[in-house]
Amino acid sequence: MQISLKKILPVFFSQQPAANSQIWQQEVVFNKGEYIHIIAPSGSGKTSLVHFLYGLKKDYNGEILYNNESLKEFNAEKLALWRQQHISIVFQDMRLFTEQTVLQNLEIKRLLHPFHPADKITTMAKRLGIENKLGKLCSTCSYGEQQRIAIIRALLQPFDFLLLDEPFSHLDEANRIKAMELIEEEAAVRNASIILADLKEISYFKAEKKLVM
Amino acid sequence: MNLSYKHIAPFLSAKQNRLQRWFSYFGLGTGVLLLLCSLQMYINISQLLKDRNPKKNGYDYISVTKIITNENMGSNHSFSKGDIDEIKAQPFIADAMPLLANNFLVKATGSSSLPFTTDLFLESIDNSFIDTIPPGFTWQEGQDVIPIIMSSDYLELYNTVFAPSKDLPQFSSESISAVMVQLECYSASGVPVIFKAHVVALSDRINSVLVPQNFLDWANKKLGSGNIPPSRVFLKTTDANSADLQNFLQKKQYNINKDKAKFGRVKQVLQAIVSGISAFGVLVILLAMMLFSFYLQLVIERSKDNLQLLLTLGYSPAWLSKTVAKRWVPVYVVIILSGLLFTMLFQYYFRSVAMNGREELSPFIHWTVGAVALLLLFLSVVINYRMVSRLLHKL
Repeated sequence: MQISLKKILPVFFSQQPAANSQIWQQEVVFNKGEYIHIIAPSGSGKTSLVHFLYGLKKDYNGEILYNNESLKEFNAEKLALWRQQHISIVFQDMRLFTEQTVLQNLEIKRLLHPFHPADKITTMAKRLGIENKLGKLCSTCSYGEQQRIAIIRALLQPFDFLLLDEPFSHLDEANRIKAMELIEEEAAVRNASIILADLKEISYFKAEKKLVM
Repeated sequence: MNLSYKHIAPFLSAKQNRLQRWFSYFGLGTGVLLLLCSLQMYINISQLLKDRNPKKNGYDYISVTKIITNENMGSNHSFSKGDIDEIKAQPFIADAMPLLANNFLVKATGSSSLPFTTDLFLESIDNSFIDTIPPGFTWQEGQDVIPIIMSSDYLELYNTVFAPSKDLPQFSSESISAVMVQLECYSASGVPVIFKAHVVALSDRINSVLVPQNFLDWANKKLGSGNIPPSRVFLKTTDANSADLQNFLQKKQYNINKDKAKFGRVKQVLQAIVSGISAFGVLVILLAMMLFSFYLQLVIERSKDNLQLLLTLGYSPAWLSKTVAKRWVPVYVVIILSGLLFTMLFQYYFRSVAMNGREELSPFIHWTVGAVALLLLFLSVVINYRMVSRLLHKL
């Protein structure tokens, strides 16, 4: 099971900034189980790449293949199924239901394709220090708390690939390490791949492959 | 996916705009009730007005003449063979036969116990059109007794008007057959041929004095110049009040029994009114569906961000459409079944109270009303699903 990038480049990118990239216009393969660290300065297209991989945007040249099937050819139903079972994500902007409680935000994801029992939510919330927030509205949580909610949400489903787009930007060092440990544990349970994109290298991520955009 | 609407309900703003939603429910209920009740009334009117006339083998027999007006009084009002063929060719007319009249002078004279003399007319028609044919209603050349079938209305007139004024005896429908009268038939040169005649049966259908057809053919030929074109034609039809028949007669300017004509006209007008109410019901349903679609659009527009995020998280658009649309299926079921229930109550009330339990009407609704209710339910569910699906795919 793999994701292959075939010389992809966002349509809105000029050739020059992508000249030294190890991602853009390159042939890259992400295999299931691999931990990949993408290091990308601001404006290099990190979030665009994550959105391309998740099938949210299609405005790129080249091809992204999932097991030799072009992601651009996936219809809405196939894409939904893929997101339920094979790929999970932590968005840079979190994307939570702000008017619902933390628990509702997590349950709505868990119920879609339950990988863990319901009490796992409390266990994970405890590990990341937000168990007292479960009954609160998301809009009342800090950015740091929202980021931890988004991380737990991404870990409640089955996946082969986990996309992380600056997942720790609002967390302090101690919480970053806790979150990374939880993520790596969950990926190991599924023998899944982690694709982590961040502005700079994260030392406590045990990446097997490092790519600079 | 072991999920249902209750899981995603908190993410939709469906609780807002309650007034608009209830208005659309009320509109839908009103429209359904109007449509079902008017359909049932349409069927009631058909049943009430269908079997009013005496029928033989399920047919109505009615006589038609050409309309005589001040303008056409002097002209010929008889039916040609072409007229009769045209009448027979109409799909709503099973058969048509002319009533042939005598073409010679006829006088009837009573006996000493029944002293009267009167000019008379005779007519004949194919036996299949006569409601009461006794075995004796036959004639052969040389036979001097002529059997007559007389209208029962004539006997009533005789008994109630003629007999009392002339001090003549009255007769029952049984005893009239025992009365023998003399029938004097005159040729063009004034030579009489004398027959005896007696009433062998009374007819409720044909207002005339009928003799066997072969006798009239023989007498017209022998005493007159043969049969003259008929002025009356009898029609055999499945429904004397059908709109097609009424329209045909009106177009050809043919006249039928006034009561029947008015009756048919009333039926047409009533059915037109009920059809109008049905159309209004359909219009109300369409308006209610439109109002409901605005409500749905508003719900989906207000929940747009949440619905988009659900899709982003991996919720399938087809599942979301189906689940959101299914939320309103019980509402449609309740509204349409309520409409059906009220129609049932209306029918029961209409038959037992307004129509004093007339037997032509069933106390239950007609099966087509139930079928229309089911069709409405099916259409509502399908339209609702398509509306939701279209709105979600627009996100």
